[in-house]
Amino acid sequence: MTSIGTGYDLSVSTYSPDGRVFQVEYAQKAVDNSGTAIGLRVKGGVVLAVEKIKHSRLLVPHSNRRIMTAGKYIGVASAGWMSDTRHLVKRVRDEARSYNDVYKTKIPASIIAERLGMYVQAYTLYSSVRPFGVSTLLACMDRNGPQLYMVEPSGQYVGYRGCAVGKGKQVAKTEIEKLNFDNMSVREAVKEAARIIYTAHDDTKDKLFELELSWVCEESNGLHEHVPQDLYDEAVQYAERSLDEDEDEDNEMEDDEDL
Amino acid sequence: MFRNQYDNDASTWSPQGRIFQVEYASEAVKQGSAVVGVRSKDHVVLVAAKRSPNELASYQKKIIRIDDHMGIAVAGLTSDARVLSNYLRTEAIRSKMVYGRSLPVGRAVSAIGDKAQTNTQEYGRRPYGVGLLVIGHDDTGPHLYEFNPSGIVSEYYAYSIGARSQSARTYLERNFANFEELTLKELITQGLRALRDTLQQGKQLDTLNTSIGFVGKDTKMTILDGEATQEYLDLLDEEESAAMETE
Amino acid sequence: MDPIELRLPHTLQRPQATSNHEPITHSTEPIVTGTSVVAFKYKDGIMMAADCLGSYGRMAMFRNERRLMAVGKTTLLGMSGDISDYQHMQHTLENIMTQEYDMDDGQRLGTKSIYKCISKIMYNRRSKMNPLWNSYVIAGVDSGEKVLGYVDLIGTTYESPTIATGYGSHMAQPILRKVVEGREDEITEEEAVKIIEDCMRVLYYRDARAFNKLTRAKVTAQGVEITEPYSLETNWDFAESIVGYGA
Repeated sequence: MTSIGTGYDLSVSTYSPDGRVFQVEYAQKAVDNSGTAIGLRVKGGVVLAVEKIKHSRLLVPHSNRRIMTAGKYIGVASAGWMSDTRHLVKRVRDEARSYNDVYKTKIPASIIAERLGMYVQAYTLYSSVRPFGVSTLLACMDRNGPQLYMVEPSGQYVGYRGCAVGKGKQVAKTEIEKLNFDNMSVREAVKEAARIIYTAHDDTKDKLFELELSWVCEESNGLHEHVPQDLYDEAVQYAERSLDEDEDEDNEMEDDEDL
Repeated sequence: MFRNQYDNDASTWSPQGRIFQVEYASEAVKQGSAVVGVRSKDHVVLVAAKRSPNELASYQKKIIRIDDHMGIAVAGLTSDARVLSNYLRTEAIRSKMVYGRSLPVGRAVSAIGDKAQTNTQEYGRRPYGVGLLVIGHDDTGPHLYEFNPSGIVSEYYAYSIGARSQSARTYLERNFANFEELTLKELITQGLRALRDTLQQGKQLDTLNTSIGFVGKDTKMTILDGEATQEYLDLLDEEESAAMETE
Repeated sequence: MDPIELRLPHTLQRPQATSNHEPITHSTEPIVTGTSVVAFKYKDGIMMAADCLGSYGRMAMFRNERRLMAVGKTTLLGMSGDISDYQHMQHTLENIMTQEYDMDDGQRLGTKSIYKCISKIMYNRRSKMNPLWNSYVIAGVDSGEKVLGYVDLIGTTYESPTIATGYGSHMAQPILRKVVEGREDEITEEEAVKIIEDCMRVLYYRDARAFNKLTRAKVTAQGVEITEPYSLETNWDFAESIVGYGA
């Protein structure tokens, strides 16, 4: 970033001469520094997975959730500043409720994504505020089936079949692109999501982490919830096994090279 | 610490995706004397080292009662903590009024976390310059949470914040796995043991500078100061001499 | 030509304004109404029943109204009075339960909390001189304890082993006093069904706003079960023997 220090990057209400808003890009940086979050949309539902990096062994396991629920059936996973995330989750909850108050139906995914996008965008307009340091994944089932959206700090929102944000997004994206979304059950997607998070995790940088897995699907009655414990354990086993296999393969290849 | 262009207010991101004003606010927490929180399966305890501005002054209060089931310990700007504790008390009483139940501890902490978050996003405000350890007992058992100026809240088995708190955390990390089954007395002793590690060379825990707070199953939030702490300081000494003998 | 005059049912006639300086009024009467709710404690929990009629004044307008509902999994709610106000309450409760679900922290709103919350809503509305025109019966098993409470449009609350609202407080309450009170822990489910059906039958015979299509529900430690609408066996032979009253 060559424009650092030129003074065009101090306020979100200032463009640089080449038409960029640096403060938004810097907020994106906060997202890139965070643990990986991914979403997979398959035929029967949507799966969210997060690599929750733990900075201390004293933390209580399964507390301090990074995947949260809004209006019972919307899953919100995020990468970035945790306190900003809570702010946005509150907003999603308020939007879901106000829609239900007016129309007495659950809010469609495209609308919740649009409304959240608008809200986030408003924080890129005024010098009195800073943009949110969060990318938010929204998962839910509506009348058009399973839906997955991502809202970025700029306010841009896009629908996805599979997406990844955070530290390990490059690795995760490569893995996601290999998946066969059309022929995958939700349960399989849960296992793949676990594997991708384990693959994207960088052991040398962050030692402790916890996997969070949630879903919205028919099995959960359209509600957003953490996956059942037995499936969670199965997914973790699967992830660890595939990591070991990868290592073995690597070793074999090295052996081949030796020959 | 060097001044840079990005550290003037909380509404500016640095090119690395940091908010310096929030980081500086976290430094204010480290200026305060240390507090330690520990938890067993039935109880949760706070211990704090109090300071006095001069010999003629009283010691600064470190532990504040919120409700029968909840209390906080403060490190950093005490006046900011009072704003937050006032808010917590209001929320606690509201929960009792509307639902007839004690405010769940996690929700209480999230509420002040959300409040703190707005101070990190708007121009012309400063983040709270205080860290809190929040303890409480609700339907899901005893809890210990940390609150910091960024608005992030985390739940711990044992934790410490404030000046030289790293020493206490080191002790806790080594020992927290054994806290689960401890009695209240043993738990308090463990807390004091960790707190002692944060003291400056030559300083001692005594009845004047020690504050103890606890809450648990069938135990209302209680704060002990002055002579009431002697009993526990004695226990700490006993443990000490016992350890020496075995050596 | 004379204008056509529409006459609403007598319950809908608004009091004539006598001057321009009348105080502001909100609801002064219910519009579409449901009649009695009957409920009492028995061995395993609480039994409750209400019929399916929504009356518009004296007209039997809607004949498939459900006036019993579950709030969460362990609380049962029965309603007498204005049906649109009830729908408003349903919506409010739905929002509260959604909030609880979203928290995802293992805390649960028990029957006592829900009872308290509904009571506060009712009292709050009456204090604004704009009451929700209902009587509610709230039932559940909260931490092993049977809870059965009442709250009405004025915000009056009471708990009792037997509760009947509206016309039922005249016609069913004496029956419940006689057969239930003092035996709350002995009555089997089978007997409870018989008692509540007897009450509903009497109400159907005597209450001109009652209807022979009802739903019955029980709430136990296992949760809430509400039946589909059904009818009771009736016998009108006694009608032959009634003499007088204009017959």
